[in-house]
Amino acid sequence: MSAEAGSLAPLLPATLHVPRRRERAARVRTLALLAPAILLALLFLYYPLVFILQMSFTEGSSFLSPGGPISTTENYVTILNRYLPNVFVTLQLAFLATAVDLVFGFPFAYILVRKVRYRTLVRGLMVFPMFGALYIAFGMRFILLPGGPATPILQALGIASTDALFSLPSVVFAMSIFTFPFMVLNIGTALSNVDPTLEEAAACLGARPWQTFARILLPLTRAGLVAGALTVFGWSIGTFAEPLLLGSINEQRALAWTVYQRGVVQTDYGLSTAMGTVLLIIAFVVTYLSLRYSRGALVE
Amino acid sequence: MTTGVAPAAAASRVPARRPLLNARRLTDVLSHAYIWLCLIVFVLPFLALLGYSFTGPGGTRPAQNFAYVVTSFGDNLLWSLKISALTLIINVVVSLPAAYAIVRHSFPGKRLLFSVLTLPLYVPGAVIGISLVLTYNFTYHLTTSMWGLVLAMALGTFPLMLTPLVVALKDLPVVFEEAAECLGATKWQTYRRIVLPLIGPGLSAGLLLCFIIVFNEYLVTLFVHPPGLTTAPLRVFNQIRTAGLSPTTAALAVTMQVISFAAVLLFFRLFGTRHLKGTYLL
Repeated sequence: MSAEAGSLAPLLPATLHVPRRRERAARVRTLALLAPAILLALLFLYYPLVFILQMSFTEGSSFLSPGGPISTTENYVTILNRYLPNVFVTLQLAFLATAVDLVFGFPFAYILVRKVRYRTLVRGLMVFPMFGALYIAFGMRFILLPGGPATPILQALGIASTDALFSLPSVVFAMSIFTFPFMVLNIGTALSNVDPTLEEAAACLGARPWQTFARILLPLTRAGLVAGALTVFGWSIGTFAEPLLLGSINEQRALAWTVYQRGVVQTDYGLSTAMGTVLLIIAFVVTYLSLRYSRGALVE
Repeated sequence: MTTGVAPAAAASRVPARRPLLNARRLTDVLSHAYIWLCLIVFVLPFLALLGYSFTGPGGTRPAQNFAYVVTSFGDNLLWSLKISALTLIINVVVSLPAAYAIVRHSFPGKRLLFSVLTLPLYVPGAVIGISLVLTYNFTYHLTTSMWGLVLAMALGTFPLMLTPLVVALKDLPVVFEEAAECLGATKWQTYRRIVLPLIGPGLSAGLLLCFIIVFNEYLVTLFVHPPGLTTAPLRVFNQIRTAGLSPTTAALAVTMQVISFAAVLLFFRLFGTRHLKGTYLL
């Protein structure tokens, strides 16, 4: 072997010369093909994010004042002192929406994968929530409005219309409808990889249904559940229309809405971008975790 | 049906007793009931708006509400369609070559690059909005141009185009391209006559996803829309905030959802649901 390699050695430079040049040409072509996408992402996502990160360390709208930016960490201190409830409400809403999706999504995905034959129809109807949280919030606001379609039901239950409309549950409900399809998608993908005979075997061996669920299904679909939950959580962090249209003053403190109020309406760029940064960091942590769990094998 | 018509005959034919409602049947019925209950809940907000849009100040007058959509909100609808169309064009131009390079070429850091390119999907809309409106204002000077909005939409949705294209290209064996090249086709000819037609369904899936999102997008639009340009979803949002609920606004929201749903149905009809696999929609 080694003797052969030695005899080939003088030939190597000559044989490698042409491929190397061709390789460089291929590199250039690859880069040219990727350039538009990379440029779009760089110019309209990564540069603006760096921009707001810088701006979040300046006072008010001083970043653009002729006197030059006034550096400060005051914005983050303000968030810690005055806006922690906003952060908590945002996390709470996302957490509750994720929990609702998990509890209702697992049985839905299970039945869909194992029992339902009219899957195309289900998929078609499940598209509706994806048209946007705005329409869901609008529709629910109309349903819950005093005198709206839900009034008799609420009266029978002894709940005042206004209590039902501007409340935490209605916001969480709207948010979980919006994200439900993503949860079902993730769990369904995991479930369709679980062999149904495993469940049959467990049943034959005398396991009760909840034992089959807890000891067979849950461990085998854990990755899908975690990925789904994280995806939903990450998307729910940026909730905007639901708290605004369905929430009380408390839920309306959700971060995304505060960013808009502070930044665009009151032009307090420093504070607004600092809040945006906090929101971004939460979203990135969640995304990083979910990408580690999800089917990242698309590219390789 | 047979059990209902002749229970005695059925019982005599089948010796073992088969109750109409055993535990297995019961769980089946409950399962399907659960699916349908969830589906009704999904469609409920839409149905409520549909019902609402059919009401008027003096009894039911759907025709007037929808006529109002065409006349008064017609501009907004046209803007929405125009912005969607331009965004889709940019998305295709950006994503097609990128997807081809990602699947067919080998280069280091491919996985990282894919993550970097799909990250816009995971950035909250309000953060994209505030960062873009500030850079548009102070660096790019795009605030008064419609292209600012179009590029913002393209940034937010091109990963939705990229993903189905990557999936479609991965499913396409490379032999077709090799055969075309052996037969003397240039790179461009191979691309246009072989690759593009074969990944058509994947391309359409991307178009559908992007269309649904861009056509109904209100949040980033709220931040970056140029003065005087209001898309239909933004109009819905503004109407609710300033004027409260009204049947005409509901009619506009219903119109938007019906157009979106028609696009979905058309896609399902033409290509089935298979090509949306691995994307963010089912």
